[in-house]
Amino acid sequence: MTLSRPILPFVVAISLATGTAQSQTLTIVNQGGAPADAQRQAVFEPFTKETGIKITVDTYNQELAKIRAQIETKNLIWDMASLNPINERAGCEEGLLEKIDWKSLIDEKPFRAIGGFGECGAPYLVSPGGLVYDAAKFPADTGPKDWADFWDTKKYSGKRGLLYQPDQVLEVALMADGVAPLDVPKVLAGPGGVDRAFRKLAEIKPFVKWWKSGDESMQLILTGEVDMVYAWQGRVNIANRSNKRDLKIVWPAGYVSALIYFGVMKGSPRKEEAIRLVKYQLAAEPQARYAELMGYPPANADAYPLLSPEKRADLPGEYASRGIMQAGSLYINFWLDNGDSIRQRFATFVAQ
Amino acid sequence: MTIADAAPGGTKGGIARDALKRAVERSQRRQAVTMLVLMAPSILFVAALFVLPIALFLFRSVDNGEIRHLLPQTVAAVPDWTAGELPGEPVYAALVEDLRTLKDTPGVGLLGRRLNYAVPGFRGLVTKTVRNLPATEVPSKKDALIAIDGKWAEPAILAVLRQQSGRLTDFYLLTALDLERTPADQLQRVSGEQAIFLDLYGRTLLISLGVTLLCLVIGFPVAAVMAAASPAVANLLLILVLVPFWTSLLVRSTAWVILLQNEGLVNKSLMALGLVDHPLPLVFNRTGVMVAMVHVLLPYMILPLYSVMKGISINHLRAAASLGASPPRVFRTVYLPLTMPGVAAGCTLVFILSVGFYVTPALVGGPRDQMIGYFIAYFTNSAVNWGLASALGALLLLLVALSYLVLGRLVGFDRLRVR
Repeated sequence: MTLSRPILPFVVAISLATGTAQSQTLTIVNQGGAPADAQRQAVFEPFTKETGIKITVDTYNQELAKIRAQIETKNLIWDMASLNPINERAGCEEGLLEKIDWKSLIDEKPFRAIGGFGECGAPYLVSPGGLVYDAAKFPADTGPKDWADFWDTKKYSGKRGLLYQPDQVLEVALMADGVAPLDVPKVLAGPGGVDRAFRKLAEIKPFVKWWKSGDESMQLILTGEVDMVYAWQGRVNIANRSNKRDLKIVWPAGYVSALIYFGVMKGSPRKEEAIRLVKYQLAAEPQARYAELMGYPPANADAYPLLSPEKRADLPGEYASRGIMQAGSLYINFWLDNGDSIRQRFATFVAQ
Repeated sequence: MTIADAAPGGTKGGIARDALKRAVERSQRRQAVTMLVLMAPSILFVAALFVLPIALFLFRSVDNGEIRHLLPQTVAAVPDWTAGELPGEPVYAALVEDLRTLKDTPGVGLLGRRLNYAVPGFRGLVTKTVRNLPATEVPSKKDALIAIDGKWAEPAILAVLRQQSGRLTDFYLLTALDLERTPADQLQRVSGEQAIFLDLYGRTLLISLGVTLLCLVIGFPVAAVMAAASPAVANLLLILVLVPFWTSLLVRSTAWVILLQNEGLVNKSLMALGLVDHPLPLVFNRTGVMVAMVHVLLPYMILPLYSVMKGISINHLRAAASLGASPPRVFRTVYLPLTMPGVAAGCTLVFILSVGFYVTPALVGGPRDQMIGYFIAYFTNSAVNWGLASALGALLLLLVALSYLVLGRLVGFDRLRVR
């Protein structure tokens, strides 16, 4: 970025002056909010106690541009970033992240179920999103059972909440159209898959309230503005806990699991410390602690036996075959190639 | 006769006048220099931190450095390539060499991303081709590339390499206007499902006009009352106008979400009063955006109006009334025309500010209420398509300049100034 060139010498001078003093402080960026609080409590604080490496946390909204700007101006504010699968791959391909051979550092076996390590990033969190309704509103057996029910506006006449973003929502639309969850990536990337998903989405569009943030999704369902919503598990858990509510996630309907990776920024002077933190966070105990606090399933399969029975009952667990993992070459390449044009089409679709 | 008209030299008086003229010029020059020195910090500040960054950013909307930098040999081979046709062997050979240089560097990702803007799927094509590059001794690079992926034989896909080989590109600006180039270089509208930006500019204008009008209707009587009230009352009203003006935009926008939501104060009160039996949809839609934006921008309308109205002498109105005009007529023929500079200044200010609004619609609006600012932020931060973000920004700037010109024509430029 040519823009910042005039101020570069100052920035370098300042970072040199402060760099030596802070070499033992890792700066991490994640998405903030409740998940970040849980991460601090379950992982960062015990890590600092054990290693003496301090951790500062910044927040961002998965804007790859903010990482790119730091790399291009050679002014690293962050050492490592929490990344969604698409940004992990894009950042890796475009040289924004350090390539790290995680397999040689960490046993990959317990991570195979979620697709293993990336070329640059290591997955530390699974974030499933599914069909959520308020049990107080639909007593006993009257709640929606699958995505076809979510689409059935005769049976359920109220509004529905969906994420204002095509990835995850197109997958949900295909499940509603009868595609088995595990086949969804193939169908979506195949000929006519995107058109099919949009056609299905058009059926309920007048009934949809679109949400833009996890907080908003919970607001919609808790205030009764919608009867059912597509929402992320961690948010549901926290909403239930802090509002004493009984929101239910219908796992058998099918759900979409995003993986969240840790990646080390290209050229970070604290690469070794960053790797130490990743190794620490991916171990079974911190993974279990984090899952207990936040409610998301652990990325490390070895952490499952360490969970309390109640926590295990909350997780999709036995419904693994109903979950779409946002991982794998087919899936990631599809979204990297077509994401921009699909997002544009989606914005037009919603606005019309 | 002025000093400048005097003949140079000659008479004694002429010499004196010359000296005087020089002295005056010198003193004027000194004054200009002093002024310049005094203003230097502000000029430098504006140039370095305002004009320069904006110019650099606007340049991104036509800059095409990436492709020239990443594919130098291909770009050099392009001139022999006829529009609408497949390129010849030299282009394919150059492409293979360029890709070979890029192999195992971040350049592959950058090139893929850049070409993917124009043709979805080009990123995958580049990655796949780089992984399977043909050997140097292959006789036909063209056949080799087509063997890797049939897409290398499609003119519609390859056209982007030819069209975007120049130093500058109109690609981003065309995209921002929902236009694209066919392989044969004809301009055409993009398909309906991809056409988004013209509607967006229309929506931005519509919301801004609505907000401006509402601000005028609500702000005009307030300003008039303030101007006519006793100093104590006027001061109180002024404080009431200024307190929200000094409050952060973010706080005010979020406050509206809390007030207007289904379980919010407004809906609860309406239901308690029995006016409605179920909550009205007031937030995350157009209503919410209009309410919040009008609230945020109202001071920008009231303050210029007030300052103009304050200067209108009551004697004008009295004179009109004493000549027999009824109060409505006094208002229409005397008061209203005198307030026009304030109306023009207030409307310009509110309109131009609301065209660029981002935070408020993002917080209180639904997907159908996002304005152009939302998409500029999206392309800057999330999609990392800085060229398109800059093109959208350039068009927005043009829009603002045009509205200023139109308004200036309508009411006169001198009236846009607040006196």
